[in-house]
Amino acid sequence: MSDYDAIIIGAGLGGLSTGSIIAKNGMKVLVLEQSDIIGGCCSTFENQGYKFDVGASIVELIRPLEILFEKMGKDIKDYVDLIPCDPIYSFITPEGKRFKIPTDIDATNEVVKAMAPEDYENWLKFEEFGMWLLHYGLDAMICADMSTFSSALKVVAKYPKVYKMLPTLAMNHEMAVKKAFSNKDLLSSVSFQSFFAGAPPFLGSGVFGMIALSEHLGIYYPRGGMKGIPDGIMKAGQESGMEVRTNTKVERILLEGRDAKGVVLDDGTEITSDIVVSNVNGKVTYLKMIGPDALPKWAFKGVTSYMNSMPCPMLYVGLDTKPNLNAHHTIVTGSVEFMNEVWTKYYTQGLIPENAMSLICWPTEADPSLAPEGHHVLNWICNAPAPYSPLGDNWDRIKDWYKEQGLKELEKYVLPDARDHVTLIDVSTPLDFERRLLHPEGGIYGLFSDLTSLAMFRMSNKSRAIKDLYLSGASTHFGGGVPTSVASGITTADIIMKDHG
Amino acid sequence: MKSAKKLFLLVAVAAMAAGWFTLNESTRRYIVHLAKQVPSLPYRYFV
Repeated sequence: MSDYDAIIIGAGLGGLSTGSIIAKNGMKVLVLEQSDIIGGCCSTFENQGYKFDVGASIVELIRPLEILFEKMGKDIKDYVDLIPCDPIYSFITPEGKRFKIPTDIDATNEVVKAMAPEDYENWLKFEEFGMWLLHYGLDAMICADMSTFSSALKVVAKYPKVYKMLPTLAMNHEMAVKKAFSNKDLLSSVSFQSFFAGAPPFLGSGVFGMIALSEHLGIYYPRGGMKGIPDGIMKAGQESGMEVRTNTKVERILLEGRDAKGVVLDDGTEITSDIVVSNVNGKVTYLKMIGPDALPKWAFKGVTSYMNSMPCPMLYVGLDTKPNLNAHHTIVTGSVEFMNEVWTKYYTQGLIPENAMSLICWPTEADPSLAPEGHHVLNWICNAPAPYSPLGDNWDRIKDWYKEQGLKELEKYVLPDARDHVTLIDVSTPLDFERRLLHPEGGIYGLFSDLTSLAMFRMSNKSRAIKDLYLSGASTHFGGGVPTSVASGITTADIIMKDHG
Repeated sequence: MKSAKKLFLLVAVAAMAAGWFTLNESTRRYIVHLAKQVPSLPYRYFV
């Protein structure tokens, strides 16, 4: 007789989502989290009276969250207070041009008409196809198990029109947008989102081009910080009996042959369970918590073939004045070609560019309670993407240099007298993310997302190598990002209930 | 029959080569990247 029906390793969004649903369905569930806070990349910590988000800075495509709470027979509004953010973002070009993209699609059409009249007709077509794809594709696939050819075929049979998205899926992000537009600023504004999926425009799939449109379905910030989302899911799960232990590190997965039987903690304690769900990065799960010797040869080859997603250092800034910003998100970047060059000439060569892409998040605009009165918080990805191993150096040594780069950008784009107003500046480097969140090489989106690592070619939610082992989170199908991590958790829960319910 | 097959193959390779040089650099890099991943697909499918 096992101690639990299911043990979930990692209280990230995927793990909590799986745990909550299967607990609601009567399973005895224990969630183990190595950190003192839950949520993984979607979390919030406090420093000197300021609340900073660890990584994730917004939630879009809230449908998976709604589905999750529906599956628990609850209303998301009773658990997570989501504040709508408008505009979606403000955009700053290298020439210093600034424009805002409103949430309302008709208002955005007017912005596009003024910015790129030559592309306006194509914009309307792009928008029509993108919105269809988002509604139809999301319904069809967002929480669907497509980890095998047969399960994917079942989805296609149920939603036959998904074939219409195949050309967009097959081409790269750059081709998808360049096919439609020629205006440099418009192209930039629909290209940088490829990095939200962890790849430059020339490597990401064309479907990532739809991220620009998905935000028009609404973007939200949880009151109290991004941790509000995992907190809400945990609360709902606990009401169904789900148990959560923080500061509890799992050392390895307990095996009998190739059958998962529980976990071993770092103090040697063994906890047994009928099934194990790992929300930890799939590579860490298979290579460290199970070990290469316990894996079939083909599984070892498969696991080690995946590229990690890109790391992103994150600056956390406290200000004693209001920043000169006008949106929750501000993007600073150049042309599509520039984004690709940053990847090939800098990132892959181990170099940190001094003038690349920045994503400035201003959460106190939505929720002033995150900072002392009159103060503000900025979470800032500065000059991304940045390599895990800077050439001839390491992140522990260049932390202060990176903060200085951030201050220079702050002076340039946000506050000319920034140094007089910064009360706190801290940084999470790729090494910090690797240590705290167990993301290999600090890759914040789990595994690299290209056409060859999606759906049935991404790590399966139900392990094919180890019996009674399931996976959720960023490195699995769906994975990467708030809505998709939640979707991966739902998919895993559905498979578990089919197998064990 | 054999020579017809050879000719067909030759034409196909020539067409692919000609097509390749009409692609822009970004598309070529994308295809090369995907091609490098293809040998791993059978293994990935079984993880």
